[in-house]
Amino acid sequence: MATSAVARETVFALRRQIAKIEGTLPERLEAPAGSSFDADVSPQTLTFPRDLTPPRNLTIVRRGLAVASQDAFLRTGAQRLDAALSGGLPKAALSEFHGAATRDAGAVAGFVLSLVSLILSQGPRLPVLWIGTSEIFREAGFPYARGLHAFFGIEPEQLLFSEAPRLLDALWVAEEAARMTALAAVILEIRGNPQRLDLTATRRLHARAQSAGRPLFLLRQAGEPEPTAAPVRLILSAAPAAARETIAGPLAGSIGRPAFTVTIGKSRTALPGQFTLEWNPDERLFEERRGEQGRAQEWAKNPVPVVSASRRREDPAAASGAVLAFPAVGSPAAGDQPSRQERPAHRRPRRTG
Amino acid sequence: MISHRDRNAQRIAALDERAEALNLKRGMGIADARAMHPSIDIVEADPEADRRLLEGLADWCDRYTPLVALDGTDGLYLDVTGCTHLFGGERSMLDDILSRFFHQGFDVRAGLAATPGAAWAAARFSGDRIVADGEEEALLAPLPLAALRIDAEVRASLESVGLRTAGAVMAAPRAPLARRFGTSLLLRLDQALGRLDEAVSPRLPVAPLSVERRLAEPIMLTEDIERLTGMLAATLKRDLERRGEGARRLALLLFRVDGGVSRIAVGTSRPLREPLLIQKLFHERLAALEQDIDAGYGFDLVRLSVLTAAAFDMQQADLAGETSDDGADIALFADRIRARLGEGAVLKPVAVESHLPERAVATIPFAEAPQRTSPPKQPGKAKDVPTTVFQPERPIRLFRSPEPIEVPATEMPEGPPLNFRWRRALYRVARAEGPERIAPEWWREAAGQHDAPTRDYFRIEDADGRRYWLYRQGLYGASQVPPRWFMHGIFA
Repeated sequence: MATSAVARETVFALRRQIAKIEGTLPERLEAPAGSSFDADVSPQTLTFPRDLTPPRNLTIVRRGLAVASQDAFLRTGAQRLDAALSGGLPKAALSEFHGAATRDAGAVAGFVLSLVSLILSQGPRLPVLWIGTSEIFREAGFPYARGLHAFFGIEPEQLLFSEAPRLLDALWVAEEAARMTALAAVILEIRGNPQRLDLTATRRLHARAQSAGRPLFLLRQAGEPEPTAAPVRLILSAAPAAARETIAGPLAGSIGRPAFTVTIGKSRTALPGQFTLEWNPDERLFEERRGEQGRAQEWAKNPVPVVSASRRREDPAAASGAVLAFPAVGSPAAGDQPSRQERPAHRRPRRTG
Repeated sequence: MISHRDRNAQRIAALDERAEALNLKRGMGIADARAMHPSIDIVEADPEADRRLLEGLADWCDRYTPLVALDGTDGLYLDVTGCTHLFGGERSMLDDILSRFFHQGFDVRAGLAATPGAAWAAARFSGDRIVADGEEEALLAPLPLAALRIDAEVRASLESVGLRTAGAVMAAPRAPLARRFGTSLLLRLDQALGRLDEAVSPRLPVAPLSVERRLAEPIMLTEDIERLTGMLAATLKRDLERRGEGARRLALLLFRVDGGVSRIAVGTSRPLREPLLIQKLFHERLAALEQDIDAGYGFDLVRLSVLTAAAFDMQQADLAGETSDDGADIALFADRIRARLGEGAVLKPVAVESHLPERAVATIPFAEAPQRTSPPKQPGKAKDVPTTVFQPERPIRLFRSPEPIEVPATEMPEGPPLNFRWRRALYRVARAEGPERIAPEWWREAAGQHDAPTRDYFRIEDADGRRYWLYRQGLYGASQVPPRWFMHGIFA
């Protein structure tokens, strides 16, 4: 923490130098007063070195996103992440999402689709366009409408896909799509670090998204962070899912809700952070992963049974034996499996008599 | 000189004037011709190339009339009914056609008559003649029997009885002719004389609406073509409005000075008539085809045709004169992308009732997707409907074709793998859920086809927390072939 605090001081000192040269003050020298999301980012963490502390009577000029209202941000719902991003992800902007390898495509796409789901739940039900190169759709799989509907509540008729054979075509489609207001969000997915997608290209995309007021999510699978015009870059990877919750507690060996590890690569506040978020497909909101302690705290806070008591009859009898995840790895083959000869019986021609 | 193989002998198929001057004739054996003149140059016939050339010429002749038909391997029919006045009468049209062909390097014979048969005869036997209505008999009478477009056998038998000209056949009594030489002779005769209608089937469907502009000075620049397209579209708009229609498919025909024709088609997902939007669509198409369109010495005729039209739904504008229709925006956006990147560039998923995951969602091109008729669902409404059916877990990404993976070991035969190798990397399975058995859809299989093996799907989480969807195809012990494992999808 000490090194990062020093680093931050250096950043602020540099920003101040830039402001001096440009004749303006940097957009953000301290947390704005009255901000409601400074749960974790207390003003103390933003103190300046003594010789650089701005005088009290200085007029602070804020430009760009700093003057945007809180409506301009998409709140993820995870308090600490929103605070670290100072309000959430900008809605009218290009945002970058990185995955370390192509095999992380599921996590990156899942996180972005969660954000799309949040956008759709707030605004009108406009279509979502997903642009990808043929390469990424071949390497990481084509988006599957059934799964998108089940996890994120995006109807198939709200989805549009555009598959471009070359990156240049994909960028062209993205630029055309980014200026449209008839789309709720545009997802552009590419692989690696192509030359074409440099600072200029991202700036073009960002400018169009800004003027249209719609988010453009740039998914970069297996890409290294490089200079970008996007105000926010998040690095995503999959996190082990929690077990499924049942009445009798977590079900051992089961795979619960999707979970992501989010690392902030670039943001306005330049605050580092790593968060583990869990997407709740039923409520369609993010929850920050809490440990066992957190769950116990919640239990103490809200000690209502998960299931309401049955009204007419008595409680059901307790299940005999221990509850197990039915296909858990390592559980021995139970006797209730049909024998090998029995199983394909339905596939054989039926005999008469 | 061009040779072709006919009944096991190389024969002369076509020859030029200099070869004709050497007393060589069509149908003569190549061996004989070589014996007479050892220095002749012989090229093998290429009927395919001839055909392509003829089709190119037919395309070019589109500038005179939309009704152009191929006639065998060496002729073209042009139905110029109602088109001649555009070129200043029949004579000047014919002269225009002949001079343009001449300048392109073709030796062309043309005839113009009221019936296809008479025009055919005039072109081939009397040369550049315009036959007035009713003069067909006078034209045909002195011509040989070949002018009647009849089979060689019929012609030979007619000649054997001394009927050597068309006039002689016309003078002969009809009933014995029909009895002896078949009805085809009289059919051809009647068609040539206009007693029976003969339909010329055009090569291309005739566009319901076309507008064109002839240019004194050929244009070459793409920007000029686009601007001209906009002007033509503005003319087209009036016609479309009169008919209450909008264009669903449009074609732009560019006639090059030297005879090449470029045909550029665009499709729209909604009926369209706005000139600016039509111009935009062609802008994308032209940008995509920039390499393929060779302007050469320029285009001197540009035509914009509506290939398919559909009823146009009028929309009331608000007081500012704007109609706000998000769907129209998206339709136009999709059209532009389609115009540049091809038909499958914008896809729309459609849920299909099927158990097989790859079949449960069909992605179809945007233009073919059914337009949404019901208003969009309100957010939150969907939750009110109790879902009683258990929704199986489905991945968010699905591989187009399942990728085979290596599974060295499973703890129990029917259980999930302990680890697997996918794309040369080894993954250790931390947790697994399943199996979910999906049997093949026997009702879709053709009779007699061996049924596909069942699949047992597992949700897998690897040691790093990534979630996958694997399946085992087939069962252990069900057949001699051991089951194979596949990676089919990725979860969030």
